[in-house]
Amino acid sequence: MTKIGLEIHCQLTKLESKLFCSCKANYREFEPNHNICPVCMGLPGSLPRLNQKAVESATSIAMALSCETPEKIAFFRKNYFYPDLPKNFQITQLNVYGDMSVGGEGYVSVEDKKIKIRRIQLEEDPGRIIYEGASERTKITLVDYNRAGTPLVEIVTDPDFESPRQVRIFLNILSDLLENLGVAEPGLEGAMRADGNVSIEGGNKVEIKNIGSFHDLEKALHFEITRQQSLFERDIEIAQETRHWDDRRKITVSSRSKEEDQDYRYFLENDIPWVKIDQSTRDALKENMPESISSKKDRYVEKFDIAPQVAEIIASNRYYSKLFENSYSNSNAKDIANLITTDVIGFIDTKEKQQNSKITSQHLSDLIDAINSKTITRNSAKVALQEIMKTGKDTKIILNELDLGQVSDSSEIDTIISQIFEDEKQAVIDAKERPETVNFLVGKVMQKTNGKADPVKTLELIKLKLGQ
Amino acid sequence: MNLNTSILKYIEDVKSGLFTVEEFTAATLQRIKDVDVDVHAYLSLNDSAINDAKLIDQKISSGGKIGRCYGFPISIKDNICITGTKTTCASKILENFVAPYTATVVNRLHAEDAVITGKTNLDEFAMGLTTEFSAFGPTKNPWNLDYVPGGSSGGSAASVAANECLASLGSDTGGSVRNPASFCSIVGLKPTYGLISRYGLISYANSIEQIGPMTKTVKDSAFLLNIIAGQDVNDDTTIDNNNVNYLENIEDGIEGKKIGIIKEMTSSDGLSSEVSTATKDAINDFESLGASCEEVTLPTIHYTVAAYYTIASTEAGSNLARYDNIRYGYELESEGYEYNSYISKSRTKFGPEVTRRIILGGFVPSAGHAGKYFLKALKVKSKLISEVNTAFKKFDYMISPTAPVQPFKFGEKIDDPVTLMLLDYNTVTANLTGKPAISIPYRVVNGLPIGMQIMANSLEEKSLLQAAYALESKTILPEVPL
Amino acid sequence: MVDEEEIIRVAKLMKIDLEDHTEHVSRVKKMLEYFDILDQIDLSSEEITSQEKSLTELRKDEFIPNDKKLIESLKNFREHYVRAPKMN
Repeated sequence: MTKIGLEIHCQLTKLESKLFCSCKANYREFEPNHNICPVCMGLPGSLPRLNQKAVESATSIAMALSCETPEKIAFFRKNYFYPDLPKNFQITQLNVYGDMSVGGEGYVSVEDKKIKIRRIQLEEDPGRIIYEGASERTKITLVDYNRAGTPLVEIVTDPDFESPRQVRIFLNILSDLLENLGVAEPGLEGAMRADGNVSIEGGNKVEIKNIGSFHDLEKALHFEITRQQSLFERDIEIAQETRHWDDRRKITVSSRSKEEDQDYRYFLENDIPWVKIDQSTRDALKENMPESISSKKDRYVEKFDIAPQVAEIIASNRYYSKLFENSYSNSNAKDIANLITTDVIGFIDTKEKQQNSKITSQHLSDLIDAINSKTITRNSAKVALQEIMKTGKDTKIILNELDLGQVSDSSEIDTIISQIFEDEKQAVIDAKERPETVNFLVGKVMQKTNGKADPVKTLELIKLKLGQ
Repeated sequence: MNLNTSILKYIEDVKSGLFTVEEFTAATLQRIKDVDVDVHAYLSLNDSAINDAKLIDQKISSGGKIGRCYGFPISIKDNICITGTKTTCASKILENFVAPYTATVVNRLHAEDAVITGKTNLDEFAMGLTTEFSAFGPTKNPWNLDYVPGGSSGGSAASVAANECLASLGSDTGGSVRNPASFCSIVGLKPTYGLISRYGLISYANSIEQIGPMTKTVKDSAFLLNIIAGQDVNDDTTIDNNNVNYLENIEDGIEGKKIGIIKEMTSSDGLSSEVSTATKDAINDFESLGASCEEVTLPTIHYTVAAYYTIASTEAGSNLARYDNIRYGYELESEGYEYNSYISKSRTKFGPEVTRRIILGGFVPSAGHAGKYFLKALKVKSKLISEVNTAFKKFDYMISPTAPVQPFKFGEKIDDPVTLMLLDYNTVTANLTGKPAISIPYRVVNGLPIGMQIMANSLEEKSLLQAAYALESKTILPEVPL
Repeated sequence: MVDEEEIIRVAKLMKIDLEDHTEHVSRVKKMLEYFDILDQIDLSSEEITSQEKSLTELRKDEFIPNDKKLIESLKNFREHYVRAPKMN
């Protein structure tokens, strides 16, 4: 009986400023140590100033995860020494005097299971450390404080996962959800990290930290489960401890000595008053939240009779759902949806491609119109999409340039069919004997015309010719 | 030129042309040259003071807009940041720290044309009661150079008392403005928590400390409060004071007011006989001013020193963790050290008292001990606040002597930690509850000052200053012998 | 009774080197023993409270660029990064 729990950290990169100062929240465009100020550097005499929108975003996340949200939130200091912590304490949240972090007691449905979200807290990211030098002896620690103070939302789950596969599905759902809310960009490098804890057969819980990516998380979880199972089989007790993921050796390693001495001396961060978030504020936040993924999906299915799997794909992705929402009309919604899920997805499958693509909702509408009016074939539309993606030119222009107009003139098609019949004599014989193989010939015509021939007419004409 | 004047009188004299800002500033700087070698109130001086004074004179003669301060000289405790100046907190670990930004209170003074004379001495990181814990040598009490000036704002108090400036900004965490004010015979106010911005004040115990004006007269205190008080965007803990004018109606008096004499702070076995006598006389003075005085008991006070030191050291342990010599500090090459040993080596620069408070501050909130010490201290704080709030339903003010004793000689109290802690007995209540309290000079006996403390309810500074003014009007004090 | 070993362990946690200053331990112990007074008061009904502010009073989310030279005025800065001692 495997039990896995997660601790996910997600940066609120859609905010303009850091959690406690006005430096930029998304630090990635800056030279090292050029996105800092007295506050995030923790200079003597500096004081933190809480970002209103960060609290709102974190509260929205809590609500999107079906959490309860408190009337007042408070911040705490977690005290420890580390070079990436300018103050040598982190301002974070804790539920010590009642529930005072931004949210808790929520859930996310993964397949048929409800994964409980124990709590959600708002806290600051530390700076980044880079190690230079080859050997232990010459190693120096370089620190870049650009990231120090970036707003983080920490999401802690109960150990409700039963397999690494479930974890993967959950993380995808969570990423889509956060992106859909418009508060985070999970695709950005380092914007979303997760640590995990694993126990098997009711044994001790082992925490795994220092996991760099979701990919590594799955590996780490697999490794840890295997490690624990082999101990269990040999009747050796699994120690309750913290281990860290060694990316080079692809194993988890005990870090017990580091953790044991740690005492965070948590106490209230008195430079930040408790923040009252009354019911009307929370109601307003809820109303202004973007439509949830499940709600969108239901709407697509009910209103436009789109197949559930198709609706799911579009609703889950902010980019596609935006494309869809701006391009459909009442008559062609289903077609647009299909075009997106069969063709567009194939071409624009990464965040980078999404950002660079020049396809607009207008292009999609135009293409569907062209297909439905038989100006071009479905195949041609696919070719056109590729070109549009690169150049963004007007659909009509592209269709002309690439000469993608559908060939529907019977005599034109007939000529090509005659040619094919000449070239594929064996196929013609096969088709006469076994009619189901006629598609080979249709395919050849499509090939010859670069997909422009009207497939329906082509089949008709071939059948006629075969019958002769 | 008479340097033993008040801010308000000074402004009058400048306005009437009796002297120029430059003349007064020059005389002040000369005074510093003459006496500070003995008093050691200052850690550093402002090189551009004369230039700043000249500019203000130019503004005056050309009829330009002049800030309310008219160039009066003010010193600033060296735990408050001013851009481009060394801000050391009287600690070796910040010996060369040059602040890259300016505290809000100093910006407000600059905006109103005050002239900063320099940075004053303190107990290291504001932890102490006698300024004997400064890493750069103690400050002497101008009333008798063999005696302590009080602390931690000892340098601030001495600079005002010795006429080395007309006012100072100190900081008060457990009595650090009021205690030295009492020991040096000047006025020292700790405002309501949140009234004055702490942006730029180097934190010691951030949940209870405030910057406070230290002046010769009560009216000067009100004047200075008008300049520096009020909400600040850079400090989330500041509160809106509705732009109250603290000087207005300050002479209204205390006829019909009810004053509570805090039993726990005025019992004769806790006070020296001189302080006890002075207290009784002060009570008589209050009554002759038309107020009615009655004893009030606040039993939780008995636990406040323990609670204060527990809370303050916890916060100090955390606030001082940033001094690891990595981002700023003093020169120490990191070659050959490993991270933990580098930090520990760097932090040996902390003085003995700061070192002890940091250890305490690691102990009392730690996992195994928080329940016995830190959490209890927080609850004492809550209980005290209820008790004091209840008392203020009945009383307008509550009074006690500021310190249980008069100033003492150097080295006298420094060896027993508990005796030293108990000097704060009368002052920590105002910090723990966040209420405003003021110490005014009441008497000088055997050449050593005694101050009286008045406490009021939150945001009642205006009323508090009226009571202080009333008592002040009854006092006749000698001039400092220096 | 406060354990001196405990005080020394805490000092280490706080990155305080006690090698030449064992007298600090006994002085800290004395202070802690004074704090025992906190055991004598009944605090069962007390709650922790704090200053409060409403959401709308908080800082607006705006990016304000800071002085690029800040890092140069701090020590240990060489070629972009702050150099810290090596970690174990």
